[in-house]
Amino acid sequence: MLSRSTLAYLLHAILLLLAIVSVESFAHGVDDSTRSFLENNTGVQIIPFMYIGAKHMLTGYDHLLFLVGVLFFLHRSKDVLLYVSMFTLGHSLTLMTGVLANIQVNAYLIDAIIGLSVVYKGFDNLGGFKHFLGHQPNPKIAVLIFGLFHGFGLATKIQEFELPSEGLMTNLLSFNFGVELGQLLALMFILLAINFWRKFASFDRFAQTTNTALMSAGFMLIGMQLTGYFVN
Amino acid sequence: MESNQKSRSLIKGTIISLVIATISLVLFILPAEYNIDPTGVGKSLGLTVFNSDAKTTAPTAAEQSLHSKQESVFITVPAGRGIEYKLVMKKYSKTNYEWITSTGKLYVDLHGEPKGDTTGYFESYAIATANQMKGSFTAPFEGSHGWYWKNNSDSDIQVQLVFDGDYIIEGLK
Repeated sequence: MLSRSTLAYLLHAILLLLAIVSVESFAHGVDDSTRSFLENNTGVQIIPFMYIGAKHMLTGYDHLLFLVGVLFFLHRSKDVLLYVSMFTLGHSLTLMTGVLANIQVNAYLIDAIIGLSVVYKGFDNLGGFKHFLGHQPNPKIAVLIFGLFHGFGLATKIQEFELPSEGLMTNLLSFNFGVELGQLLALMFILLAINFWRKFASFDRFAQTTNTALMSAGFMLIGMQLTGYFVN
Repeated sequence: MESNQKSRSLIKGTIISLVIATISLVLFILPAEYNIDPTGVGKSLGLTVFNSDAKTTAPTAAEQSLHSKQESVFITVPAGRGIEYKLVMKKYSKTNYEWITSTGKLYVDLHGEPKGDTTGYFESYAIATANQMKGSFTAPFEGSHGWYWKNNSDSDIQVQLVFDGDYIIEGLK
């Protein structure tokens, strides 16, 4: 019995790992054509910045993993809306202030903390905090706080390009709006998949496995980013 | 009793997730991302190809033959678009160049990107809007150096680029 559940753990984590390795090709930065645009950009460019924001969110598997963790046990649309709003509030706040106030944070360290947010949510979904601390730390506050870190992560991606101050505010707002659009699009798919799966008995059976796999993916992100920090 | 079992399964879950993460980091992710490959598994799987060392070792033989030979290329910069032509150069190696457009002016940014850099950093040596340019530059660091032309007009513009020096041609990007 024990060995069977261990096997199930392993299988699912390996599946998830394969999924991660395959999206690795997206890389997490900004691709060449986007870079050439950003380097040569002057003035206000609303749609292109929206597009970059949306694309970054949709191809940013660290943000998506966190959202999967947050949404995993939410089935009331009111809760979904509330939690997503907390996350949006958090990351918009630090994205805007981070860039406008030119707050420099190390991208690797921020991305490691984003990895930590995935581990945290996985452990939280397993009921770990409730069990060991006697109570679950307010999950809404947790989403808000981690949202702040995700926003700093988004800010570092934009700051790499030292955008001209001309039209910066509008461009940033466009980028931010694009991030929300991308998030909405990603949310639709994530919710569809989770809600569909929830109808089956396998959802409850594999809830533990999935969240353990989520934690594992978070640990990978932490390891990858911390290595990057020490190498560079 | 039940609580103990819950603790055990939580700890077990955490340890399993950590072990899987560590294994995949050491075997796959670190070799592919940073060329850190303590076990050699990454190399045997071919995951270390992403590292730029592998890319530059192949053309070094070709480098000898290209050295100092004058090259001439014609590049079309489409209307409203930008195009890059790059050379892979070692630190302190030098290239002489001259380019001229068929008609009209182009925005140009002669710049270099350090080898292996993923942050998008680059250094510009000359920025201008002109219909021709002549000069030389010495690479301040090893990496990819060259021209970015942007055609802001509404008709295609041809550029003839002539150059010689120490480099491996990377070409259009």
